[in-house]
Amino acid sequence: MASAQVIKRAKYKTTVKDPGTAGVLKMAWDRFIFTPNHPNSASNLDVEFRFIKGHKNTKEGSNKPPWLNLTNDQGGSYIFEFESYPDLHTCRDFVGKSIGRSGETPTAASGKTDASLPDEQISTAELELRIKLLRENSELQKLHKQLVIGGILTEAEFWATRKKLLDRESSRKSKQRVGFKSAMISDIKPATDGRTNKVTFSLTPEVILQIFAEKPAVHAAFLKYVPKKMTEKDFWTKYFKAEYLHSTRNAVAAAAEAAEDEELAIFLRNDDILAKEARQKIRRVDPTVNMEADQGDDYMHLPDHGLFRDGGKDIIESQYELYRRTLAHDLNRHAAVVLEGRTVEVELEDTRTVAEALAKLKRVESANEDSDGTANQGILERIARITEIEDLQASHGPPLAPLCIKDPRDYFDSQQVIAVKAPAAEGKKCNLSSREAYGSLRDSISQTKQMGLLNPVVKTKDALQVFNALSHDISRTKYDVGKNPQDSVLDKLPSTTKEQLLHHWTSIQELLRHFWSSYPITSSYLYAKVNRLKDAMSQIYPQLEEIKKSVPAHHKQHVSVLVRQMHQALDAAFQHYDADLQKRSAKSSERPNGYV
Amino acid sequence: MKFEIEDVTVYFPYDNIYPEQYSYMVELKRALDARGHCLLEMPTGTGKTIALLSLITSYVLSKPQSPLKLVYCTRTVHEMEKTLAELKKLHDYQVKHLGPAARILAVGLSSRKNLCVNPRVLSAENRDSVDAGCRKLTASWVRALAEKNPGVPTCEFFEDYERAGSGAVLPPGVYTLQDLRAFGKQKGWCPYYLARHMVQLANVIVYSYQYLLDPKVAGIISKEMQRECVVVFDEAHNIDNVCIEALSVCVRRQTLEGATRNLHRMEQEIDRFKATDESRLRAEYQRLVEGLALRGDLRVNDTWLANPALPDDILKEAVPGNIRRADFFLRVLRRFVQYLKGRLETENVEKESPVAFVASVTNQAGIDQKTLKFCYDRLHSLMMTLEITDTDEFLHIQTICDFATLVGTYARGFSIIIEPFDERMPDVQDPVLQLSCHDASLAIKPVFDRFQTVVITSGTLSPIDLYPRLLNFNPVVSRSFTMSLTRDCICPMVLTRGSDQLPVSTKFDMRSDLSVVRNYGRLLLEMVSVVPDGIVCFFVSYSYMDEIVNSWNESGILKEIMQHKLVFIETQDVVETTLALDNYRRACDCGRGAVFFSVARGKVAEGIDFDRHYGRLVIMFGIPFQYTLSKILLARLEYLRDTFQIKEGDFLTFDALRQAAQCVGRVIRSKADYGMMIFADKRYSRHDKRSKLPGWILSHLRDAHLNLSTDMAVYIAREFLRKMAQPYDKAGSGGKKTLLSQEDIEKMGDGSLNDMLY
Repeated sequence: MASAQVIKRAKYKTTVKDPGTAGVLKMAWDRFIFTPNHPNSASNLDVEFRFIKGHKNTKEGSNKPPWLNLTNDQGGSYIFEFESYPDLHTCRDFVGKSIGRSGETPTAASGKTDASLPDEQISTAELELRIKLLRENSELQKLHKQLVIGGILTEAEFWATRKKLLDRESSRKSKQRVGFKSAMISDIKPATDGRTNKVTFSLTPEVILQIFAEKPAVHAAFLKYVPKKMTEKDFWTKYFKAEYLHSTRNAVAAAAEAAEDEELAIFLRNDDILAKEARQKIRRVDPTVNMEADQGDDYMHLPDHGLFRDGGKDIIESQYELYRRTLAHDLNRHAAVVLEGRTVEVELEDTRTVAEALAKLKRVESANEDSDGTANQGILERIARITEIEDLQASHGPPLAPLCIKDPRDYFDSQQVIAVKAPAAEGKKCNLSSREAYGSLRDSISQTKQMGLLNPVVKTKDALQVFNALSHDISRTKYDVGKNPQDSVLDKLPSTTKEQLLHHWTSIQELLRHFWSSYPITSSYLYAKVNRLKDAMSQIYPQLEEIKKSVPAHHKQHVSVLVRQMHQALDAAFQHYDADLQKRSAKSSERPNGYV
Repeated sequence: MKFEIEDVTVYFPYDNIYPEQYSYMVELKRALDARGHCLLEMPTGTGKTIALLSLITSYVLSKPQSPLKLVYCTRTVHEMEKTLAELKKLHDYQVKHLGPAARILAVGLSSRKNLCVNPRVLSAENRDSVDAGCRKLTASWVRALAEKNPGVPTCEFFEDYERAGSGAVLPPGVYTLQDLRAFGKQKGWCPYYLARHMVQLANVIVYSYQYLLDPKVAGIISKEMQRECVVVFDEAHNIDNVCIEALSVCVRRQTLEGATRNLHRMEQEIDRFKATDESRLRAEYQRLVEGLALRGDLRVNDTWLANPALPDDILKEAVPGNIRRADFFLRVLRRFVQYLKGRLETENVEKESPVAFVASVTNQAGIDQKTLKFCYDRLHSLMMTLEITDTDEFLHIQTICDFATLVGTYARGFSIIIEPFDERMPDVQDPVLQLSCHDASLAIKPVFDRFQTVVITSGTLSPIDLYPRLLNFNPVVSRSFTMSLTRDCICPMVLTRGSDQLPVSTKFDMRSDLSVVRNYGRLLLEMVSVVPDGIVCFFVSYSYMDEIVNSWNESGILKEIMQHKLVFIETQDVVETTLALDNYRRACDCGRGAVFFSVARGKVAEGIDFDRHYGRLVIMFGIPFQYTLSKILLARLEYLRDTFQIKEGDFLTFDALRQAAQCVGRVIRSKADYGMMIFADKRYSRHDKRSKLPGWILSHLRDAHLNLSTDMAVYIAREFLRKMAQPYDKAGSGGKKTLLSQEDIEKMGDGSLNDMLY
């Protein structure tokens, strides 16, 4: 990764209006170097990325040329004009990465103890994703800056708790499975060059997949002939020749061509595989639409009985039936395939892989079909439901779909948030001493003994009190900001204080999360981490005090309530830390060898 | 719910009932009491079937001494399944309330193909049809062979069924085809033969029209039914066509060639018998002298159809002398086949009455009318004597004898038409000699005569006075019910113009106009983007549909349509159509929405429901007239004019409009359902066409909706759909109740109920 570098032609400009100096921009992992084409030009640059604090670029599609603007920590900037947007994008991405890395390098250096996590191998894609996330979310960026660059957490630790965020981001692209298009593939129109009689068809893997899905015979032929007997190009040429013959609707010509060319005949003939599939499917068809059941009754369909050329019947051309394929047939087949919506879970790149993946899928499907015996039962139930006249009786409950959790993590995470939130809100309103609590408990027990159980176990007044206390606290949590602004205390505060408070709150949360997740301490690495976290947390106390002091008097009350909650949370952590330390020291006195 | 109609306690499996259903039951009960026939038209989507089933079964339950049996005829197997599903629900309800006393046996009967459970016959590798596969295993000669030689395969299901003998019975219950198969599999008995056997014992039989109307089939399946039967023809608007088809025969070149081969083989057999066992032939001769027309003594598992002419027409007289001897009979047949061959070699279309045809046969081939009439039975007798059991090899000669018997029996109501080629494809030589029946009453007459009550019912029997004339019977009850709607849940429209104000029509001279094709396409495109879920389009014919869909494809309209909904098309391949229909339903179920293109006289229009979200809109492109130049149709029209004084134009319009009404009428399932119907042809705005539509559609066709252009129709559709999305009072508001509860029925005596209904 370190060896990666980017070299692009660009113009360096000191200001926006500057026409610029043409030259070559070379970006290495820690620095960029600009060498002008003109050797005696003064604008030779060699800048390390760690001085670069930000980068901007012009948007593609705006009428500005592709510019990249790098700002350094002194407030100056370097502007490069590239030849094209792709160049710009490559460089921008590289810069983004480098800046991100230059931020983390000192961390890695400062935290260079023997107790670091095993080196994690981050792919460039993941790195880009992280940078993108940071760019999009300023809050996250702040936190990142404070904790990671501040050396409290390592990069890996910071992101470990945000795996879900990363996952979602990366899976967003591939999440939706794309079905087949509604448009027919017969719509591929050939391109002519106008001079010769040649036509050109362009096939994409998507189109090929659809052809294979709709025409199993073509699919089978492809697997059989390519590449052993003919090249892929020959194969498709033949295919389109057959399509052309179909489109002329000249069954005689098609028959003649097919007689000469064996492979061509495969495309021209009716699809045997389809016919076989149809025979299988017809057995599972809903009997109330099964018109096929009327066919072939030995009593009703005798040859030469009934009216042959009735005015109500249509005539059928029976000649060359074999080589006649109608649009109707294509339409039905197409719609059926679209409805089945089978998708192949491979990258659509190579025709061969597409063909094989489809074949595999089909085998799986046919295996599934063989095994389902409950289908008939389902059909019968459906018929019974359909035959009912709906408004003559009380309606059944709406049909229920069973809950299907595609990604269990989504579900459990959301449940956990709720579970975590509830005790956090509850834990803070208890001011009773244990003595009092015990007394009241004893009282109520004796009361119950005397009077038996009251119908409402809890007195209404008490319940109301508890409820009020609970809901009071809930309304103050951060999650309510914005939802019901008039209730929130935060909105009454000056905006700087509010922001500060919120920032502290998130960073405390982040720190606490890491803190609690480090227990039980099983390795020296964790021990080091906890110590780091503890130091960071202890620094927050004075900051909070400062905020308290800075706010106007009439807000002091609210702020102190908010700050108290933070204090409580931190206190709990310290308490645990001290208790744990004591335990450890007690243990270590027994085992002087130190930590395990 | 449970309520009384006069002396009958009706068990109805729902909590509420529509007033129409109630009065339908009242009328039906009158017909049952009077032991007469009835004709009842009730709109689709008002629960005809369940009303009918629940009244008749309740009627039987309240009169336990009467051996009344219900024979319910449907046109298709899938309708049969639907009926059985409703009957099952009803039966469950009745058993719940009455206990085991209410138990009945109801079976659906269908072909071998739908009932067979033998995996060897059904296997996909087996190229034979199920029928042929079955016969190969169960024919009497195969079984006889298997007894001697255990290596010959037989069907274990059939063998077990035979072994069980009279013990093989179905316990009471309602059996759909699926249930029969399951039962057969479990017991190891052949479901097909079991069902055939149970027809005699069942209280309710559901099967196809032909099993009762076609004399050839009815003679073997329905011959032992008692008089105390209620025969119901459901969806009977096309019953006249089924009747005339049952008595029509056509002879083609292939038929004659096959018949010649059959004759040759029979000749060889006769020679063989003459050499070995001449006494058999002599015994047969004696039997024929005594006039025993042998029928019905072939085993149940061998295929031999009954006489094509009606049983009453077969005289119990001796077979004419000139065909009593086997070789003489063969010679007669040979001459007849030769004669037919000669007639087929014609250059022009010929049309003859049966009388003239018989006269010509007598003159040129020397076969008189009486001889012709006995051909079928004589052939049957001969084949039995010759111990020919692979009867399906001999279908061609059977067809010829069918033809001869029908021509010899009926002097009226038929005509013989010889066409050297199809009018629509003049360059393909395919001569056909068609014996065409024009009189629907001939085939249905024995049904009316034999059974005490015949109910003919459908959603479209308008004009209701026409059917008694066509079928020649006197109904004791003939009623047409309207539909009382809680809200205007159907919205018929007549679209006469496209958005460019040019008229649209499928009239022959303008159906291929680009403007018509484009306007039809734009109409569908607009509707597809407005209407949710399923849309059904009906075209006047396959060829027109093909043409228009191709041109939509070329102009890109189809592609635009497909951006909104998936497109499915009915084709002439039934398997493909069934799958397309199944997929269509699935597309509607999953919310993707779809369009189904179908043909007005096709299989789909015949009995597939597009209720609820399966059809929120039906578009009828054009008026589905028959191909009016067809010689058969012309001959039939002539006959109708001469016998019933029905004008040609009137009949054609009647026929086209009943098809159109049938197509659009399938969108409604209940009063809670809703749907739109668009009649897209300028001719629908004319009174003489429109007035032939059934009353329940006409009553919702507002004057403002009679002459619409595409943009207006889209506006109306939007408004309608918005209105239908609102909640409403199911029981109906104001003075008119559209849903009756138990209380309502008890509260009101018959008199006040009737006041309220009409």
